[in-house]
Amino acid sequence: MTDTQDVAISVRDLKTFFYTNNRCNRAINGVSFDIKKGKTLCIVGESGCGKSVTAATIMQLLPRLSRIEEGEIIYHSEDGDIPLHALERNGRDMRRIRGSEIAMIFQDPMTALNPVYSVGFQIKESLKYHTNLGRKKAHEKAVDLLREMGISMPEKRVNDFPHRYSGGMRQRAMIAMAMSCSPKVLIADEPTTALDVTIQAQIFELMDKLKREHGTGIMLITHDMGVVAELADDVAVMYMGNIVEAGTVDEVLRNPAHPYTRALLASVPVLGKGKNQDIQAIRGSTPDPYDRPKGCQFAARCDFATAQCEAMPAETHITPTHRVMCWRYKELSGHAAE
Amino acid sequence: MLTYIIRRVLILIPMALVICFLVYLGLEMTPGDAVSFMISPDALSSMDPAQLAEMREALGLGQPFIVRFWIWLSSLLQGNFGYSTSGGVPIGRILSDRLPATLELSVAALVLSTILGSLLGVISALKRGSKTDSALTVVGMLGVSVPEFFFGLVAILIFGLNLGWLPVGGRMMPGYVTFWDRLPHLIMPASVLSIMLTAGVMRYARSSMLDALSKDFIKTARSKGIPEWRVNLLHGFRVALTPVVVLIGFRLPVLLGGSVIIEQVFQWPGIGNEFISAVRGQDYPVVMTIALLSVMTVLVASLIVDVLTAVIDPRVRLGD
Repeated sequence: MTDTQDVAISVRDLKTFFYTNNRCNRAINGVSFDIKKGKTLCIVGESGCGKSVTAATIMQLLPRLSRIEEGEIIYHSEDGDIPLHALERNGRDMRRIRGSEIAMIFQDPMTALNPVYSVGFQIKESLKYHTNLGRKKAHEKAVDLLREMGISMPEKRVNDFPHRYSGGMRQRAMIAMAMSCSPKVLIADEPTTALDVTIQAQIFELMDKLKREHGTGIMLITHDMGVVAELADDVAVMYMGNIVEAGTVDEVLRNPAHPYTRALLASVPVLGKGKNQDIQAIRGSTPDPYDRPKGCQFAARCDFATAQCEAMPAETHITPTHRVMCWRYKELSGHAAE
Repeated sequence: MLTYIIRRVLILIPMALVICFLVYLGLEMTPGDAVSFMISPDALSSMDPAQLAEMREALGLGQPFIVRFWIWLSSLLQGNFGYSTSGGVPIGRILSDRLPATLELSVAALVLSTILGSLLGVISALKRGSKTDSALTVVGMLGVSVPEFFFGLVAILIFGLNLGWLPVGGRMMPGYVTFWDRLPHLIMPASVLSIMLTAGVMRYARSSMLDALSKDFIKTARSKGIPEWRVNLLHGFRVALTPVVVLIGFRLPVLLGGSVIIEQVFQWPGIGNEFISAVRGQDYPVVMTIALLSVMTVLVASLIVDVLTAVIDPRVRLGD
């Protein structure tokens, strides 16, 4: 793809499997992508497609009965490349990167903050382990961070407990916590799903500002196509543990090559078209991850499936940046261009 | 915080008054009165009724119930608990003799069970599904279900009689001065008394800890790159602590109740032992005072629990 100069994290052929009752769920089945410095990569897909597992894999925050089976995650730090996939899960090296180099914010800010500690304490916790700031300096830094995130009266609010913050404020506090050590990469796992639409816009604006001002690479997990169009530089569409289509935001949204991407885009209701507009739902439901179909995972739900789809299509590059996993992408992307 | 505590204490007062009233009512409803306890039945039958009435009047028994209740209550508040009917010893003195022994036993058992129970519970939770966890679960179930006097007797048999490591019972021996002299006597009853509570705390701490560890904020804490011990203790255990503290607080009175049996088994000269002999000797004033004491312990324990939860969990602190 692009040269590694501006790539913060590159993921190659990553496979993460979950094990339960002697069965194996291939939650991520060979994905590759780059998170670039100062750019936003949006990962979209429906529930259970492996978006969050991808995020957890990069942070090595996987549950017990799961592991990285194959592939590599390389973090291109200033002091050379670090193979994240090879680090011990909660070991010293991984912990040094977590929070300071790669930070993460979660879906539900109501539960992601510890209720028994003040917001300031939780921000300062990061600072304590990743910086040499003294007690007083760390406190000032926490106040500054809250102010930067748009929390009013941060000197007072820093000592408040999370239950005195509203949902939007908590997510701001989470972002303050994540940004406390100026990480190179911010992973946001559906950061606004639990929030009001108006608050959503504010949070995204904040993230966009951080990207521009700090050059942070952002990996944003979402299932909101509007957010993708608004924020993304690059898009990766996931389905059943694979990236079925990836490219720059223009390529993927304007010229979707995979039937799944096309179906996703068609299923979004458009404001102003009236209440009788024809929302095209994707028929069927996602297959059981323990009992996957052979070949293309989407074939059973696909309007364009042929006998060829019995076999898994390989990843094909349409342009140097735009890649797709579909046998019939040529006809389809042409079709879309009409 | 201070207003919260003051409010909780104020709520306690009417409750305490109602309980005092009920206890006094119970005393009133027992057959016979003070005079019939003071004079032996033989003498009572040969006495002149007029003389008896005079005695009753002199003791204030002729006054209405409410007035007598008031007199009893006000002398109670002044520390005058009345007299034992068997022997006429002031109940205050009985309490001051017996209470330290019971408190020593209960506090020792409480401290032991809290530390041991939380520790084992946390270990059990952190190693869930392992052999250690299963073993602790079985032991916990045994501890909860087997009555403590059984453990007491078995312990006496093994450690007292067969091995001879610890004294079989009693608390004070001639020549004992310091706490350390008494310590060998304390070990066995305190351990046995703490078994049930330890098991309960352990099971509770385990599930509470598992619950806390499954929360999102644990993931947040890990994502900050802080060490595992800090994630488990500061984020996990700290949150798991609230329900455990509530459990321990509400077990305080049970600890006093449990000591009635254990004191009997180990011949421990505490309140529980006194309670049993008072019941046997139909010494109602003593029984009532001890009952009142246990009920007050419940009230105070619930107050302590409320204050402690407010200290531990900021969400409980109302109006601060």
